[in-house]
Formats: sequence, C-alpha cells, structure tokens
Amino acid sequence: MRTGSEYTQRLQEILLASETATGGWSYDPAEAQPHLEPTCLSLLALRYCAEPRVTRGLEFLLQSQNPNGSWPAFAGDDQEGCWVTALAVLTLTQFRAGPNAVERGVNWLLNSKGKESHWLWKWKFRTSDTHVRFDPDKFGWPWMPDTNSWVMPTSFALLALRQCFPSYRPSRVRVRITHGIAMLFDRVCPNGGWNAGNGVVYGVPLAPHLDATAIALLALRGQKQNPIITASLSWLEDRAPFCSAPSSLAWSILALRAHGQIVTGQIERLAYLANTAPIHDSATLATVALALGCANGKNVFEVQS
Amino acid sequence: MTRRTALAGSVGVAAGGIASLPFLLPKYDEVRRPRRSRVAILPAHSYSHHLEQLLMEGMRLFKLDVRGKRVLLKPNLVDYIPGAEINTHPSLVVAAAECFRRLGALEVIVGEGPGHQRDTELVLIESGFAQQLRDHRIPFVDLNRRELIKTKLRATYTGLDRLWLPRAVVEADFVVSMPKVKAHHWAGVTLSMKNMFGVVPGAKYGWPKNILHWRGIQQSIVDICATVPIHFVIADAVVAMEGNGPLAGTPRPLNRIILANDPVAADATCARLMGFIPERIPHIAEGAKFLGNSSVDLIDQLAQPVTAANPPFRVVPEFRNLSAS
Repeated sequence: MRTGSEYTQRLQEILLASETATGGWSYDPAEAQPHLEPTCLSLLALRYCAEPRVTRGLEFLLQSQNPNGSWPAFAGDDQEGCWVTALAVLTLTQFRAGPNAVERGVNWLLNSKGKESHWLWKWKFRTSDTHVRFDPDKFGWPWMPDTNSWVMPTSFALLALRQCFPSYRPSRVRVRITHGIAMLFDRVCPNGGWNAGNGVVYGVPLAPHLDATAIALLALRGQKQNPIITASLSWLEDRAPFCSAPSSLAWSILALRAHGQIVTGQIERLAYLANTAPIHDSATLATVALALGCANGKNVFEVQS
Repeated sequence: MTRRTALAGSVGVAAGGIASLPFLLPKYDEVRRPRRSRVAILPAHSYSHHLEQLLMEGMRLFKLDVRGKRVLLKPNLVDYIPGAEINTHPSLVVAAAECFRRLGALEVIVGEGPGHQRDTELVLIESGFAQQLRDHRIPFVDLNRRELIKTKLRATYTGLDRLWLPRAVVEADFVVSMPKVKAHHWAGVTLSMKNMFGVVPGAKYGWPKNILHWRGIQQSIVDICATVPIHFVIADAVVAMEGNGPLAGTPRPLNRIILANDPVAADATCARLMGFIPERIPHIAEGAKFLGNSSVDLIDQLAQPVTAANPPFRVVPEFRNLSAS
C-alpha cells in the first residue's frame, strides 16, 4: 500500500506524462485538444514540480488568454470567454505569474454577470418565470456570457477574487464578492448543500451535489458561521465517507479540510479508490492529487479569513 | 387614390414582405422526412435478462444494417436519486449494445453528457451503469469532456448558427437515442429528441447547458436533432415518469419499450402512449415538417398497437393542454 505522498508523486508523474504536445492538458489524455479546466487543475497539482513541462503548461495558459482578458474553454474555442477565467486567474495567482494577464482576467470577471442581473430579466423572473426559487437581485457568475448565474462558476470566481485580493479590496471587487456570496446563500438547497443552482423547482426541493457543495463551501470559507454553512458542512461530512467517485470525494476533502475538519478517513478512501481503478480523466486526476496533498501541504483552494 | 399614395402603398407592402421574409422561409436546410416510418411497441414488464432477446426480435423488424459501423448509444443519464426512475435503465443499454454487436457493428460505445450533475463518473457508479458497462466491456464516453468540433447547425430555430459538438458524436456512423420516457417541466416531454441535449458539451456550455434554455428549449431540440441525425430510437417506457420530471416526477409503469427508425415518429408514438396529442408538443410538430413523421397515417405500427395511458400522464400546469381531456 502506497502512502499519501507516494500517491501524490505517482499522480504527478502521470499528469506530467499526459501533457499534450502543444502544452496544456485535455480531459482525456488520448486527445490532442487541450482544455483549460484540466490545464489549470494540473498546473495547480504540479505547482511544486520544477519541470520544463510545467513551464510549458504555464506558457500555454498565458498564451490562451483572449483579447478581452478572459480565457476560452479549450484551445480553438470562440473568444468570448467563459467560467474557466476564474480558474486561470487563480492558477496564475498561485504561481505568481503573469501579473498583467491576471489583471485583465480580473477585469473581465468583474464585468461578467449572470443575465438575471439585467433589470428586464429580473422583472421576468419576478413576474412570469417564477418556477425556480431564486432572488434575481442576488446574482453571481455564469458558465458563459448571456446566461444565468450558477453555483459553480460563482464559487470559482469568488475563490479567484478572494485569493487575488486577500486583504485590501477595491470597492468594485468588494461589491461583486458581496453579491456572489449572497447569491450562493440564496441558491442553497433547503436542507443545506448546493447543486447546479436550482434548490427548489415547482415547489419541490432538489438534492444537493457533493462537488457543487464542496466548491461553494471553499468559496465561503472565512464567512461568519451561519445555519447555511453549518448545515451544508454537516451534509458534506455525512455524505463524503460513502462517495465512490474520486472527483467528488476529492473536492469534498479539499472543502472539509479548509473548514478545519479531520479528513484522514476520506483521504484513505480516496487513496483506495485511486489504487483500485485507474483514473483516466486529467481534471479528476489533478483534483485527486490536490486533495491527497492537502493533508500535508497547502490547500490551493483555501482562502484566508 | 393618387399615384403617390398607390406608390407609397406598394412600397409599404414590399417593405412588409421583405421584413416578414425570415418568418416565412423554412428554418431548416433540407427536408429529410422519410416517406413512411416504422415504430414497434414491445411489451416489457421488467428489466429482466430477457431484454436482449426481446430487443433482438424487435430490431429484426427494422432490417437494420450496422455492419462495420461505429454505433453511439445515447441513453438519458441525468443524475442519481435513490428510488427515482430518472435514467434509462442500464440493463436496457447493455442489451442494446449486445444486439448491435450481434448485428455486426464495428464498435459500440455509450456516450452521454449529463446536464445537471457535473461528476458523470459519480452518476455512472451510483446508477449501476459503471458496473454493467464494465462487465460487458462497453466503452463509455463523457460527452461533456471530449474533443470538440465547431459544427454548423442545419436548422435556424435558435439563431445560434453553430455549436461545438463532440467529435465522438459528429463522427459516429449510427446514433441511437435511448430516452427514458418522462414528462418534463420545461419541455412537456423528454423523449428521443429532447434526449439529444446530452450531446451538447458541458465543458463549453456549462451545467446546465443554459444557453439552450435562453435560446428556447423547443427550438434548441429541433436545431440539435437537425444537426445530429438520430438513426434509431430505443425508448425505455418500462417504468416511465409523470408529473414534475425530469428529476422530481413520479414513476409510472408503461411496461413497454419503443423502437423506431424515425425520432419524430418515435416521440409522437410515445406522446400518444402517455395520453398526449403530439401535435401540441412544439418540437414534435416542427420536427414533423422536415425530420420525420408524426401522423399515424405515415407510421407503420409494428408489434403492439398504440393504447393511450388512461388517465393521461400528469404534467405541470403549463402543459395541461397536451392531453385531449
């Protein structure tokens, strides 16, 4: 049986070997088209590896930035930008690389809003389109432009902004962080936890998801304890030990650890899962490496109180 | 009337005609509706081990030629909620894969891009798909996270012009839509055509694929089905869902599996089985203009006859007009 650090090292080796020929990582290592999500997560998992392949990945990330400051979902994508901009900003911040790119990325994030923030759509969601329970005044970030705010892109944007501005925050940043946090509280499922962002539809509560709950809790770390955070943490603590999928379990570990919970059992379970069935997806592999590593080292998704 | 007013009137009529031209022109590039379509309704009271034999007998009615072809099975895999019948049953998908293998397919893969739950592997494991696919050595492709190709849409209902679609879908020779027959709170029904939302990649469009909601769910269904042809349908109505589907509805056994060589005919038949009038479902009505046949006069009904559910499937209030009663 390997130890946690041996696992992490082995996963890092696999990640290094699976970088695409052009730099960056695809979800499926057999494919040549790099996507930005596995690229950012892989770089974060490899941030302490002094390897030319890490440098090449970082160059790919910097070169992929769109003219408007955002990042595309994958190499060759349209240039409108999308949610991975937050992950790119967070990654470059961790590497202390590309300050100009980070600044442009942050500007794009500050201008990106859920479509429900516009007065016309607010009015629509208040009057005729009322079957999903949410307050359109509490908006965050969309997956892609011209769509609504959702829990995961909002959580990643909050993580990026809170890590970029750990202490002093210009008012523009403060306002978006406040709105984003309010949006997450508004979209919570009735008994705690989050899913994509539809807590109640047609009066029926929908179930939370492990990964969405974990990422939202990471984004909310340091907030004053309140019943929503307590209930969501409790839901995650109850569910995580039974999770049999590496990605959701890894995100759960990262969140529970950031909130000061003991995760030894979950880490052992994650190591067991990774040992019994090979993980093909690069984004999952990187998240697992980050989760296994967080017991000893720094949790890259942890934001300061 | 003076010449001046007559001229002004003519100019007005011409301008009106030009302005309304986009609304009068067809929104699709070609009519691909077959002269006649075939639909078979098979009795199935459970997801038993007899499924493969039942499917094989049903598929023989269609004289399918998949020899040497790459077959993509697209089930409806949404999420996992214990006790809820929300996904196409894994036993049916495995049985279909075995049948296509027996019919000489070069390769059979199962592909899906769930629109709600981001951890596809978790849904696969918890729903029992992972184990069954592994046992039968059937590869699974997460369509949310694969190589993408910019694809021109072959209809213009959404005005999107192009979508990024997975290469695994675009390059499949034979696409089989395998829906779970359900009432749907936004679309009225989710059948073989709505099931194709799952080929739109989350990595590009998010979870959910919200751009499709903003562009119109009914419109998006037609655009996607015009662009990604469905060659065959195997619909799971052994246990269907009524009410607040696709996630929070109530199980409703129909004890049937529906096979069809035309998605519009398949969906129209499923709608009739649910007690609905298919022409009242916008994507079926539009699809019947160019993608397939919805009229019973143009459908060769095989195996069992269509008997409408009585009472009709329950739906959310916005879709109460779907049933005749």
